[in-house]
Amino acid sequence: MADDVRSLTAALARDPSSLRYADLAESLRRRGQRDEALRVALHGLARHPQHADGHDVLARIYSDLGDLDRAQLAWGKVLELAPEHPGALKGVAFVRFRQGDARAAVEALERALAIDPSDEAAQRALESMRRDAPMADLPTAELPTAELPTPVAPVPAPPVPAAAAASPEAGAGSAGAARPSGAKARPAVFSGFDRATADILLLDERGLVLAGGLLAPNGADVSEVAAAGLAGVSGEAARTAQHLALGGWRTIVAEAESANLVVAPVGSGALLLVRRDRSMPVGLALRFAERARGTASTWLEGQGA
Amino acid sequence: MSAPGADRPGSGAAAAPPARSGPGSSAADELARALDRISRVRGMRGSMWVSADDGLPVAQLLMEGVPGRAVAALAASLVRKVSGSAGAVGAGRVRFVQMEAAGGTLLVALAPPDLLVVALADGRVNVGLARLEMMRAAAAVAR
Repeated sequence: MADDVRSLTAALARDPSSLRYADLAESLRRRGQRDEALRVALHGLARHPQHADGHDVLARIYSDLGDLDRAQLAWGKVLELAPEHPGALKGVAFVRFRQGDARAAVEALERALAIDPSDEAAQRALESMRRDAPMADLPTAELPTAELPTPVAPVPAPPVPAAAAASPEAGAGSAGAARPSGAKARPAVFSGFDRATADILLLDERGLVLAGGLLAPNGADVSEVAAAGLAGVSGEAARTAQHLALGGWRTIVAEAESANLVVAPVGSGALLLVRRDRSMPVGLALRFAERARGTASTWLEGQGA
Repeated sequence: MSAPGADRPGSGAAAAPPARSGPGSSAADELARALDRISRVRGMRGSMWVSADDGLPVAQLLMEGVPGRAVAALAASLVRKVSGSAGAVGAGRVRFVQMEAAGGTLLVALAPPDLLVVALADGRVNVGLARLEMMRAAAAVAR
């Protein structure tokens, strides 16, 4: 790989107008030198703004950097220039999936397969989506990682202790309702809380699910997808608080169109997400989340975490 | 506090939305008036209009010592992350974000399509009042 970078750098030095800049940027991206890769890609695209493969590499770099908005724009540009570009179609599928739009992700993968039916990575991703979740329950590990940039490591669910798996979450709802059908069996940490396995999620700093659960409107379990995305929020919040000398961050409240979200750190490294319907006032959602945080903290201490 | 727009980058004026209010009222005036209203909320250390795409300040009203450009960049980045996660959990488009920390609160109202109203406050802030003023300002420019 280092030789690749050296030889590509030399080739580009000999001919600055060469399209090899895209290969160099991709090699740097694969080595984890994202900033350098971004610089090379942008420099190359300044010379070759209509170069579809260059925009494709740029999108992968943005994706690695966690900037899905820019990645989507770049892949969109690729498809303007080359509507059948398989890498861009899979990239769009990746972004759509991460945004929770499984339908659009499936459509993009189907287009990719219509162009290249032998694309095994796209086949696996599509089969997994159709089999496991009509909405968005595709494990990140089964996305075509060989083809797609994955800014977040695959997030398999941690093994569930046998005792916990054997006992359904007693009192998943405040009236003791059974666990929603789409929810996976996980430690019954939030028993007694309203929608304990549908709207409350506890995860670790790497984006791995610890307890609780999050369901999509169609009942699919989207806990792992949500956990992967939320790990990035925690890091961003910590960075923001540090740079602005605000001390440790306590909560983030996001008021969105169809739900309010409360995110809070728990102990050292864990993170809690509470999703509440917009009919619940924000102040009440905060109190609810604070109570759930206390419960999670006690449970984590009991686990020696 | 420094005057609205005193630390405005060279391109900031161009990023401001067109004026939507009465004759003689410029867009910059409208943005400045909104910041002035927000700044009157107790505990407020500064407020600003920020370009959502690139995290650059468009106009600002800050107490001495508040790092306007850092606040703008970090707020925009945080909102992008939170918006991405909200999409992933089916919450839809984010309209308001508040991050509470031990030493203060960062508040952001989204003013579609491309502006953010950002405020930095200390622990005494009346979040409800600040939120109202910020949402009002965001709605005014989005009209």
